[in-house]
Amino acid sequence: MSAADLAAHPAGGSAGEGVSRKRGPGLLPYLLALPSLLVCAGILVPFVTAVFYSLERYNLAFPQARKFIWFGNYIKLLNNADFWNTVRVSMTYTVLTVGVELLLGLGIALLLWRRSWVTNLLNVLLILPLMVAPAIASLMWKLMTNSDFGVLSYLVSVIGFPNFRWATAPGSAMFTVVLVDVWVYTPFIAILLLAGLRGLPSQPFEAAELDGVPQTFVFFRILLPMLAPYILTATLFRMLDSIQQFDIIYAMTQGGPGNTLMVFQIQAYLQAFTFTNIGRSSAILMVLWAITYALSKYFMSTWTRLRERAHGLA
Amino acid sequence: MKGISISPLRGALMLIVALFFLFPLFWIVLMSFETNTDILRSPPQLFFSPTLHNYAALISGKLGGGGGTMTVNYMQNLLNSVILSVCSVVVSLILAVPAAYAFARFKFRGGEDIAFTLLSFRFAPPLLVLLPLLNYFQVIGLYNTYFGLIWVYQLITLPLVLWIVRGYFEDVSEDIELAYRLDGHSWLSTFFKIAIPLARPGIAAAALLAFIYAWNNFIFALILGSSAIQPVTVGALAFITSSGIEYGQIAAALVLSVIPTLVLAIFTQRYLVEGLSLGAIKG
Amino acid sequence: MPFLTVDRLAKAYKKHEVIRDLSFAVEPLETLVVFGPSGAGKTVLLRLIAGMIHPDRGTITAGGRDITDLNPEQRHLGMAFQNFALYPHMTAYENIASPLRAKQTAAAELDARVHEVATLLRIDHVLSHLPRALSNGQKQRTALARSLVSRPPLILLDDPLRNVDAKVRYEMRLELPRVLRARETTVLYVTQDYKEAMALGDRIAVLIDGVLEQIGTPRDIYQTPANSRIARLFGDPPINLLAVQPVGGSQGAQIRVASTDLRIPPGQARRADGCVLGLRPEDIAIGFEPQPGAMEVEIDAVTPLNDREVMLLRARDGTEIFASAPQGSLETGQRGRRDAWAMLDLAQAHFFETGSGARV
Repeated sequence: MSAADLAAHPAGGSAGEGVSRKRGPGLLPYLLALPSLLVCAGILVPFVTAVFYSLERYNLAFPQARKFIWFGNYIKLLNNADFWNTVRVSMTYTVLTVGVELLLGLGIALLLWRRSWVTNLLNVLLILPLMVAPAIASLMWKLMTNSDFGVLSYLVSVIGFPNFRWATAPGSAMFTVVLVDVWVYTPFIAILLLAGLRGLPSQPFEAAELDGVPQTFVFFRILLPMLAPYILTATLFRMLDSIQQFDIIYAMTQGGPGNTLMVFQIQAYLQAFTFTNIGRSSAILMVLWAITYALSKYFMSTWTRLRERAHGLA
Repeated sequence: MKGISISPLRGALMLIVALFFLFPLFWIVLMSFETNTDILRSPPQLFFSPTLHNYAALISGKLGGGGGTMTVNYMQNLLNSVILSVCSVVVSLILAVPAAYAFARFKFRGGEDIAFTLLSFRFAPPLLVLLPLLNYFQVIGLYNTYFGLIWVYQLITLPLVLWIVRGYFEDVSEDIELAYRLDGHSWLSTFFKIAIPLARPGIAAAALLAFIYAWNNFIFALILGSSAIQPVTVGALAFITSSGIEYGQIAAALVLSVIPTLVLAIFTQRYLVEGLSLGAIKG
Repeated sequence: MPFLTVDRLAKAYKKHEVIRDLSFAVEPLETLVVFGPSGAGKTVLLRLIAGMIHPDRGTITAGGRDITDLNPEQRHLGMAFQNFALYPHMTAYENIASPLRAKQTAAAELDARVHEVATLLRIDHVLSHLPRALSNGQKQRTALARSLVSRPPLILLDDPLRNVDAKVRYEMRLELPRVLRARETTVLYVTQDYKEAMALGDRIAVLIDGVLEQIGTPRDIYQTPANSRIARLFGDPPINLLAVQPVGGSQGAQIRVASTDLRIPPGQARRADGCVLGLRPEDIAIGFEPQPGAMEVEIDAVTPLNDREVMLLRARDGTEIFASAPQGSLETGQRGRRDAWAMLDLAQAHFFETGSGARV
């Protein structure tokens, strides 16, 4: 039984008795919500401004040349090798991080499914990496992978990789930052999936056990579908974060070595603060926004569908 | 299927997992108690005589580097983090809790659409809005101010608190509120004496998560402020890139920057897990 | 002068009319039971009166005041909810004291009145407990105490015995009238249980699909139900509804029921024209000798129910009929007997129109 419906209602009823009543709580809900809505709407102003920036030739070094050029920035991007490098690097980063984190997170969640003092302890300890600021985590790993005194450099040289350059070499830079990302964010997925697992009804699994159904079948045809909404939620959150990754890469190498780690926001940062090309920077960010917007829209529709199906299975 | 049934295998795997996720923290803490010579020794030592010199240097602000002393105000960074995070959370709570109540109890025209739009902005690339904001802030004088940064932090913390607390308000039975009002209490009294106390776990979880997000924020402070108001996340990077800093001190700086959130996490982990999963699932 | 008047109340949710043009009045100190199947709109009605929802049309008057647009705290009503709605973070004492605190009653008087009503409802020994430490029965008593403590002139009870176990429900059914009478208050009571309605109500208002179909004393409703639906809702096992045709070219001194021709008392004859016959199980007697005016039946099942025995009979053409008799009137093992005879006491028959079910 929900409270008063605020939808418009015809005032003044039919002739005779039965006068239409004034709608319920009046202004109260709006008063309560308005400050928050205003703040959130406040984001629209810079957003629209950014859209305009992306449609302008706007470089702080040449203020007099600032003018509206419609989609000029975008077209230039399409022809720009650096831009495509950015796209490729971002995609690679996203796929690697989300993929590894999903698999690892699922594995850890399965490992911790059964409740015991050990799994509860691990549950607490697992939160810790998630609590570390990604930028700080990156710095921690930077220290550990330092070629002179980093403990990881040492360990890795012992097992046969002397002179492993971690983030300072083009070949292994991606590996290093993905590693940091995995370290920080896998717990998020693990905790989320664990909550999902713990919330699953036990009957289907008990029934399967009684019927002697093989474990692979149980895993792929019962467990995974029921976990699907959680997996999807986790995937979406991480994909959106990864494709916009800034903190970890900036703290580690600011996008280098060379342009091996030039993901979208780093590239945009470079354009804005080193090359002072606000127009191009904004265009790059708009492309990124379009991608995230499409992703979240897709997620919203699929999520409700999956959730209903998972409930149907239960 | 309740997990892998073989015990030693599970034990070994869990150990590996624990090691992987905890080792970096452990090691950095270790480093923070080492002198520079100990750090540079190869192979790295597990056993050494610890020193508090690094922390002392950070706290006092006077560092002995490669040549002569340098003053660095890392403590200011810590203070900035505290001010920014606490104030952001307080502002978010004041604004978002009533709004969450409104969304939970009343049907707004196009309510779900508004909610989705809000959420979708949360997913937008921060830098997109930060560039224009930088221009605006410089014009209206909010650049490098706590005030300006706290409001910008709301873009992250406000939707978070709203999202989580709304779910909790929805769980509070409306009948209970009606009963309290029929007893003769006003709406305001009902809000403070019934709705908020009953949603307290959710509010706590939301506040915690918001604090952590605010504390760990990097890019907002990087762009919209300079060293005067920058929190530890940005400060630590500046610290590392300055030359002549001892590695032990860097480690100590990193440790100081994560202690608040780690301690919070350990003491409130139940709230956190609930908030995290609910924020993701219930939404 | 009625205490509570509801006049042409209407409420719709998304084009679906939950309450339609509802009007009725409750006399001072009367207990009016609103009875109806689930989905009838009873809960919506109570919430309209309590002030949680606003009606689309119509007015509500209580104690001479038009309360239609007033906030709940201004209406001076007490209410007890089906799921208790106790404040989980307050003790039973504080729950009950809440209305008095709202009025800022002095401490000594508050304490006295809380204890007074708690004693009346026999929960004064659990006052310091939190709701989660109370049994459902105790929770319901606490909710009732809370609604009564400030002596409101009108109390709304939303199916308060629904979530309480059967034994406690039975006890409360006897106790409630005593308690309510002791507090001298007008009561609007909502329930889906017809036995409860008949036990507690001075009058019963039958609400089906948002429409008030009949209002009257329990006896009126049971003996002269306004339509077949109401007749079916009151009675356990439910009234038998059988199609009848008049037989014979004459005015119909006979009717055909379940392929049997039966004589019908003259008083009923006029009404039996292509109708539905309603006959309560207690108006059907069973014998094992053929008698004039009896119907040949087979006894399919015999079940004891309280102090009666309920029989499921099957007529020759397959129609199922319920009959009931006092315990022990049938020898054991009569189930399956093919040669039983049912005497239908047609003087007690109700007749309803086939289409609308309205009483003829």
